Amino acid sequence: MNGVSDPVGRRVSLVDAREKVEGRAQYIADLYRPRMLHGAILASPYPHARIRSYDVAQALAMPGVHAVVTGDDFAPANRMGAFIKDEHALAKDKVRYVGEPVAAVAAETEAIARAAAQAISVDYEELPALLSPEEALASNVLVHEHVEEYFKIFDAGSSGNLCSRTEFSEGDIDKGFQEADLVFEHRFETQAQAHVALEPCGALAEVDAQGRLTLWSANQGVFRVQACVSEALGLPMTRIRCLTPKIGGAFGNKMEPHVQPIAAALALKAKRAVKIILTREEDFEMVRARHPFKIRIKTGVRRDGTFVAREVEVLLDCGAYADDSPGVLGFGLLCARGPYRIPNVRCHGKLVYTNKLRFGAYRGFGNPQVSFAGESQIDEIAEQLGMDPIALRLKNIIRDDDRWLGGQVLLSNGLKECVERARDASAWAAGAPEPSGPGKKRALGFALCGQQSGLLGTGAIIRVLEDGSVLLNVGANDIGQGSDTVLSQMCAASLKVPVEQVAFVSPDTDGSPFNWGTTASRLTFMTGRSVVGAAAEVEKKLKQHAAEMLECAADDLELVDGGAVAVKGVPEKKIGFFEIAKRSHWMVGGPIIGSHTWVYDRPTLDPKRAAAIGLPFPRIGAYSFSAMVVDVEVDEVTGSASVKRAWSACDVGRAINPMLVEGQIEGGFAQGLGYALFEEMVWDGARLANPTLMDYKIPTTREVPYELYPIIVESHDKDGPFGAKGVGEVCLSPVAAAIGNAIKRATRVRHFKLPFTAERILRGMLASEK
Amino acid sequence: MNAGLFRPASVEEALALLVRLPDARILSGGASLVAMINARIAEPEALVSLAGIRELQGVAELPAGGFRIGAMTRHREVAAEARFTGTLQVLPQAASVIANATVRNMGTMGGAVAHADPGLDYPPALVAADARVEIASKAGRRQVPAGQFFVDWYTTLLKAGELVSAVHLPAARPGVGVYHKFARVAGDYATASVALTMARVGEGIVTRAAIGGCGPIPILVDEANRLLSGRPGSGEVRRAGELLQAAADPIDDVRGSAEYRRMLIPRMLARAFAEARAAAGTQT
Amino acid sequence: MSDALHVQLEVNGSAVTLDVALTETLLTSLRDRLQLTGAKRGCNQGVCGACTVTIDGVPVRACLSLTAACEGQAVQTIEGAGGDPAIAALQQAFIEEGGLQCGFCTPGQLIAARALLEQNARPTIEQVQEGMSGNLCRCTGYHKIIDAIRKAAQRLHP
Repeated sequence: MNGVSDPVGRRVSLVDAREKVEGRAQYIADLYRPRMLHGAILASPYPHARIRSYDVAQALAMPGVHAVVTGDDFAPANRMGAFIKDEHALAKDKVRYVGEPVAAVAAETEAIARAAAQAISVDYEELPALLSPEEALASNVLVHEHVEEYFKIFDAGSSGNLCSRTEFSEGDIDKGFQEADLVFEHRFETQAQAHVALEPCGALAEVDAQGRLTLWSANQGVFRVQACVSEALGLPMTRIRCLTPKIGGAFGNKMEPHVQPIAAALALKAKRAVKIILTREEDFEMVRARHPFKIRIKTGVRRDGTFVAREVEVLLDCGAYADDSPGVLGFGLLCARGPYRIPNVRCHGKLVYTNKLRFGAYRGFGNPQVSFAGESQIDEIAEQLGMDPIALRLKNIIRDDDRWLGGQVLLSNGLKECVERARDASAWAAGAPEPSGPGKKRALGFALCGQQSGLLGTGAIIRVLEDGSVLLNVGANDIGQGSDTVLSQMCAASLKVPVEQVAFVSPDTDGSPFNWGTTASRLTFMTGRSVVGAAAEVEKKLKQHAAEMLECAADDLELVDGGAVAVKGVPEKKIGFFEIAKRSHWMVGGPIIGSHTWVYDRPTLDPKRAAAIGLPFPRIGAYSFSAMVVDVEVDEVTGSASVKRAWSACDVGRAINPMLVEGQIEGGFAQGLGYALFEEMVWDGARLANPTLMDYKIPTTREVPYELYPIIVESHDKDGPFGAKGVGEVCLSPVAAAIGNAIKRATRVRHFKLPFTAERILRGMLASEK
Repeated sequence: MNAGLFRPASVEEALALLVRLPDARILSGGASLVAMINARIAEPEALVSLAGIRELQGVAELPAGGFRIGAMTRHREVAAEARFTGTLQVLPQAASVIANATVRNMGTMGGAVAHADPGLDYPPALVAADARVEIASKAGRRQVPAGQFFVDWYTTLLKAGELVSAVHLPAARPGVGVYHKFARVAGDYATASVALTMARVGEGIVTRAAIGGCGPIPILVDEANRLLSGRPGSGEVRRAGELLQAAADPIDDVRGSAEYRRMLIPRMLARAFAEARAAAGTQT
Repeated sequence: MSDALHVQLEVNGSAVTLDVALTETLLTSLRDRLQLTGAKRGCNQGVCGACTVTIDGVPVRACLSLTAACEGQAVQTIEGAGGDPAIAALQQAFIEEGGLQCGFCTPGQLIAARALLEQNARPTIEQVQEGMSGNLCRCTGYHKIIDAIRKAAQRLHP
């Protein structure tokens, strides 16, 4: 799997950069189909209500309206859901959150569609609304009356308003705490964060002459869309073809369906193409967000700083539908021990349905929340023990052959190097520089984490076309992170052709191999492996042809730069891909196709070491690591915290494209900074109070420090293509804790709730002065 | 024709249109109005655009001293206005932190003032600068002190059929003007702001402070200004902050709680005052 | 509301005539009538900056501009800006420096960056941060956008 070749390790520009800078890149809102209609959605005004009836007559009668769909258009059995199939395309029989899609209209213009949607009248019978997990657990009112009947892909333990529960344990937790000299227990709370990809969600559905659906959408996996539309509409997958335009960012918001099933249903009913593009407000209110977590964390240590026991208990607000939540619970708990040697561990938690917006996949997937808790507590422990926070961590981090919680073997572990390089680059030992002016306090803060990249199935097909050029088809969406480019680099490196000579096929469920999705930091690692595997097959077939054409043994041949096969040591004796392709197409053997598919095969759980209940993923992937130092200044007048500088060291196994790895580290840091300091979805009762960009703020150029130093660590994972692992999430998960630790060191006050708003910091400083 | 976009060439023509079309809205920079149209909060059938009226454009020095800022003057122009020296510096400082560079190309003084969003940066700056708002009506022009012009949430003294034609500033006095704003991120509306002018008048110092973002209208308290004038000690500055704090009527919103805004007022005032005093002290 | 207003304006150097409703925004007209989809709708409130175009050489939010009010004005979108050496330099620098990922905010970034460089030919890092604060990006963390703008500035005015 390891190879060194020119394209790997190069700062190659995005293969689609030019079309993007020229404004020619086509995103879902830019697509048009002949005679296309526009769709609009009527949202529920209530958090919890029975739907007694619909009156769509007025809407249907409006000029320009072609179709109306409601929950009645979807069969009761047709439910979708990644882990628990609890969701219809539109609210059926009940609404479960304010903003839930209830009905939809297709009309000649968007204005008519929106007006007609508002003209649909729905007779609701309000039900008591459950607005917190605690309230939902204590109540007899059920968000889902039939949760036991829902199809589940794992042992969720669903009951009442409990959507799922998960537990991991290793060792003997009670004995562990008894052995500890000191036990620390803290409670932390995190907020709902909105994805705010610059592009709102949207879809365009069209039915062809055979009655087959073609569906374009802003999505993170065409096969996920296909599966969900198939389930929600009760159509066989072969009747649905999913394609993908350029995607304007996603971060998890587009991993599970949003309006695709609705657009599809309207297109089938209207017998015309239908496009639905959500407004920014709808994107906030209808789709999904990051889970708020309540975390109780208890860690037992010896006086010399050795960690001996940790218990983490979490309570998650699921929102109204399960979506990816059971995965977030499971994954979050799997990360809750952190990358530390702790022999006695119990991580457990519950996911509870409420009448709020569904919470779902969001970059980090539970790890930002548990890392906030764990990394904050470790700093408290260090302070109590009189130890430097980094030294305490170095004493306890996993190394060499150590395993992750659950027992998974790690084939590469660059964490120690990440810690040391972040520490040294930031001159940690010297402390923060002087504050930038009077009335400010300043300190450095540190945090680290591990994050998996992997999960589920992927594949690659490489074809050598008649003219010798190379076509790479992986079915994997580039959501902006640059996977098209990185995978092309790997293909080019494997076949020794220039990157520009690899053509990348846009994902298409008709023609692409299955790929679960662009999520879980998995494409470089998982799909990259398949690219390398498929290229190996192509190489073998090229050599077979060349051996016959050159009359030698295949073993005597090697690939040479520029797309040719030559006799080893005799570069003049070579045949180009062009000639081989001609031969394969017209004379002997058939067109050259190489393919490879796989599912990550190392188990998460070793039953001899650990026990688990409700494990949502039996096998996940490789672990990446990150350690970061932040330099934070707090304004004593307002309490406002700002990050002046940051160093983020990430072990990515191998940087296929260092420029894109830096881009992930920088972008992940910015998103983590917003999460730490000011991003928060605020509910006013059952309704979202700030569903606009006026009211929900993400970092601008002024909030993210320019002095943001990405440090790439390469531990050369044996499973990874060219040794590479993922980076997309590991660079975000520790940010909040690092900033919180800096604020503690600057102000002497520990904050247990996110975000660290100026108000909270000021109140903390004033309280501690008393 | 009672619908569409009207482009009067003069203020008087604009006023006549407003009388003829009582449901028409005024289009100045458009930033606020079009956002409301996009959100379907406003659905006007007629708009009276002020873009073509020359007397509303730009900043003019007045013969008797002081300046007249035409209602259609963009924030970008005010931010760059080099003639706003001394105490009038408070205006460019406020203008330069409104939203961002692109929006400052669009938003206008008249539009902002008439909209009277309490989170805006101009209202407290105009009050601290002792500005007057020039209102045009069929009866002619009249000027109202900024402190009286803003009446309540999004409410001014403007009556139907009137429009803001200009904002008048007194002559710059030797001294300084500062505008301090606390917001969650760059370009956000203020959670709280302080506009402060410190003028040297003969041997004395006259200071005016106004607070923004902490209630329906900018807050100015005469007794606070009296305490801040001259060469107050920290006790007097603190007392002034307390007076302004007591006069504030902030709300809870996503930008901050009411209590936090109250906490900010004396703290931000003290800092703005210290900066102004240091800057005034360095001037000859 | 009918499309009752007849508006003549210039878009990317060509004379254009549109019949629009009073409340139609320039963003809608550019995207839906002229198929100039480079300007994007990210928020429709003027906050995100993805819709930034120029009117008579001045960057504005197309989502907050009424087409009816653009009578006689010259609009330029990213599609029409490539011939401008400043835009071309910025485009090339963005590509080389990795100043874009998903690309959704990029046209707006380029239009705003050109205006910044017109005001200030060699901005410091802080001046770039200040001048570009109205263009949100969720992907890059801005570092490489700043590098790209300063690289273009250096090439345009060595």
